[in-house]
Amino acid sequence: MGLSLAQEMAARGYRVLGTGRRAPADLPPDHPLDTYLQADLSRPDEVAAVADWALAQTGGRIDVAVLNAGLGYYRPLTAESATDIAQVLRVNLDAPLQLAHALRPALAGGALGLVGSVAHRSAAGMPVYAASKGALDGFGRALAEEWRGDVRVRVLHPGPVATGMSERAGRPRNLMDSLFLSPRAVAIALLDALLARRGPDRQVISFLRVGRGLLIRGLTAGGR
Amino acid sequence: MRVLLTGGSSGLGAALLNACVARGDRVTVIDTARCPDAVPPSVHWLRHDLGSADMAGWDAIETALAGQGPFDLTILNAGISATGRFECIPLAQHQQISRVNLHAPLRLCMLLQQRRAFARAGRLVFVASLSCYTGYPGAASYAASKDGLATFARSLRAALRRDGVGVQLLCPGPMDTPHASRHAPRDAKPGRRIAPDRVARLVLGASRRRFLLLPGPGARLAAILGRIAPQAMTRIMGRVLFDKLKGRLS
Repeated sequence: MGLSLAQEMAARGYRVLGTGRRAPADLPPDHPLDTYLQADLSRPDEVAAVADWALAQTGGRIDVAVLNAGLGYYRPLTAESATDIAQVLRVNLDAPLQLAHALRPALAGGALGLVGSVAHRSAAGMPVYAASKGALDGFGRALAEEWRGDVRVRVLHPGPVATGMSERAGRPRNLMDSLFLSPRAVAIALLDALLARRGPDRQVISFLRVGRGLLIRGLTAGGR
Repeated sequence: MRVLLTGGSSGLGAALLNACVARGDRVTVIDTARCPDAVPPSVHWLRHDLGSADMAGWDAIETALAGQGPFDLTILNAGISATGRFECIPLAQHQQISRVNLHAPLRLCMLLQQRRAFARAGRLVFVASLSCYTGYPGAASYAASKDGLATFARSLRAALRRDGVGVQLLCPGPMDTPHASRHAPRDAKPGRRIAPDRVARLVLGASRRRFLLLPGPGARLAAILGRIAPQAMTRIMGRVLFDKLKGRLS
């Protein structure tokens, strides 16, 4: 999903800086990143390093920040561990909070997108992940109001996306998977939602919405 | 009745502790404050900062949960806040809020469930906030932690129902507590806030089958409006609350 977002942003003419857990040598050859920093966002010192790096690379001026990194485990609470709970909450909530805090001056006049999940209301199969995304939603809800007029803050909750995260998280494959959306289609819909001047602070990037976007794109491409 | 309560030294927690002691419960309290001198022998006081990663403290909690449980009533009440502009509040405070209000209750619930320390036909109460319905500009990290708790409570309901445990979410509006006074705008009228004793009575007397506990007609009305028009409600909060909070130094 992050790769699709980066590709779509590059296609729209942005110079894209990215971070991830992978070593630079392990990035896919077709990645569109101008600059890359390897970082583990479950470590506050590395989150701080990401913020410093982003500020230095951009000269303190960021048009769009998309905080997309996230992880979770599909399992009941009894199967959790203290370490894993801390890791999920740090990456999914504490890191975005720290980055928003550090990048605030650079974002003036720009947009901050927080990538949530449709699990943000509740998910019995992954309570810790759901809690982290519910918290991110509440954070973005407050921040959008605080920064209104200065920085456009939006929380975007994608529906199930076919990225392999679900399998890695341990969710068994079933019929539902045929409904999963392609990362590229979701990335397009997500960026459209973030970059639109008007729109609600918190939005679900649903099947309908992605479908409508694809349809409009198809029609305009066909008319050309 | 055996009770586990986090945050028992002030505000709603102190009111809950008093009410439990008055009806003869045995209460295990986890709190950062030192044990008050006047505490009766039916109270087991564990001093621990829920925001710390201190292994010895968490080990002591695990031991206590095994020794004092299973609990008929668990109230995860401990919470802290910081108000003002998000970027003007020091990062360390936001991080401590996240750890005390969200990391710690999740970890405690995991321990309690793994050690079968929830008694059958018992209750687990999460103390969230009316901010789950209204949004809370001026307390972004606090609002985040409380929304996280609400989602966690909803997500746990089915699994704990199978164990015979009722999960409940308490969303109080402003209470007449030291916490609320610290974080309210300067000109707020304390007389309009709900008394913590009243909220404590509601919690202790609530039926196990009710999920959402909204104390007082004001909170119920705000929750309804927040459900119908969430963004409008947050914008109103921005006007009536954040405009006053952002002027002051945190």
